[in-house]
Amino acid sequence: MPDLPKKKVGIVACSGEEMAEGTVTRQAALRVLEQLRPNETVTICLPLFLAGGEGDRAFARFYPTIALDGCDRRCAARGTEMYSGKPAASVVVTDVVKDNHLGTARRLSEAGKQAVDVVAGQVAQKVDELLGVTWDRKQQVADPSQPTQESKAKVATCSCGSGIPVQVVQVGGQEVTLIALPLIFEQFHAAAKLPGEGTAVELIQTVKIYNPIPDGQEAAFTEAVMREYAAFCQEEN
Amino acid sequence: MRKVMIVPCSGIGKSYGTVAREGAYVVTEDLRPDTTQLVPLSLLVLGDEQARADVSGAQAITIDGCKLACATKMVTESGGTVAHDLAVLDVYRRHRDLKPSGIAELNEGGTELARALADEVVVLVDRLTGEVKNA
Repeated sequence: MPDLPKKKVGIVACSGEEMAEGTVTRQAALRVLEQLRPNETVTICLPLFLAGGEGDRAFARFYPTIALDGCDRRCAARGTEMYSGKPAASVVVTDVVKDNHLGTARRLSEAGKQAVDVVAGQVAQKVDELLGVTWDRKQQVADPSQPTQESKAKVATCSCGSGIPVQVVQVGGQEVTLIALPLIFEQFHAAAKLPGEGTAVELIQTVKIYNPIPDGQEAAFTEAVMREYAAFCQEEN
Repeated sequence: MRKVMIVPCSGIGKSYGTVAREGAYVVTEDLRPDTTQLVPLSLLVLGDEQARADVSGAQAITIDGCKLACATKMVTESGGTVAHDLAVLDVYRRHRDLKPSGIAELNEGGTELARALADEVVVLVDRLTGEVKNA
């Protein structure tokens, strides 16, 4: 069965090479990705929105994204919005940390390292808010009343070039690009869910996780997606 | 004399990205601070006027951490001239004993690889600045 990614939060750090705050964004992003929320977060390098392919540019439309910037030029937030999708949340280091003795871009001072802790904590909190998870800070585990989550530290990997699969469908005579549709089709087909009314509801709900559907257009989207799914099943069979 | 622009990738998901970044710091801060200038890639992504002006018409050496070559592509898109494009992986192939690991914190091999990378960049910088002087 294809591995349809569960809902995760994307982290895009500016990584600004010329200032200590940029290094704070990079280190804080890595702290969240590797230690604080390893199973709930993914990342991508900011320049890939321009240098990568359509799948890379789909990143912020696929994942609710937190832009992490070092200064008020907000390259990560503005770049993500310009080329991928509006970030769901934004953190700017200079808003969070007032100490301006963070060291250099190359070597953070003790204050800089503390800034990483503070900023990473804020980002992790925003991850939880976006996923609707409450977090027991003393135990460093999800609230017991919430579904159990695995949280084992891991090495961060980026989504560079992994490309989120997209498919163009005709909805009401217009071309619409739907993110992750090929993966969703594969998953439904592998689960022997045949095209039909029962499948249509579940299928459109899954599509809606990754794609906004404008008000009043759900029926047209459902019809288009079911038409494409029927064609997909026919080809597979 | 215009400085040579050093543009490393801002790779965050691989050790090679950190090596690119560290190597760029070694060149611009330690080895050739007077003849080189670091250009942050995020500013080029945003189309920042000053960053574009810095690379426009200048000679740039790009350092990429993976085959997607973001640094090289961004400099080209920003109107700069890529005089040399280096890939960290190629440098590693020449120094197999320096295997990098870690992203937030490079291991010793990664730090040494960054230094080896910087040494290669410096040779190219000197060639470029020599060419300018002799022009």
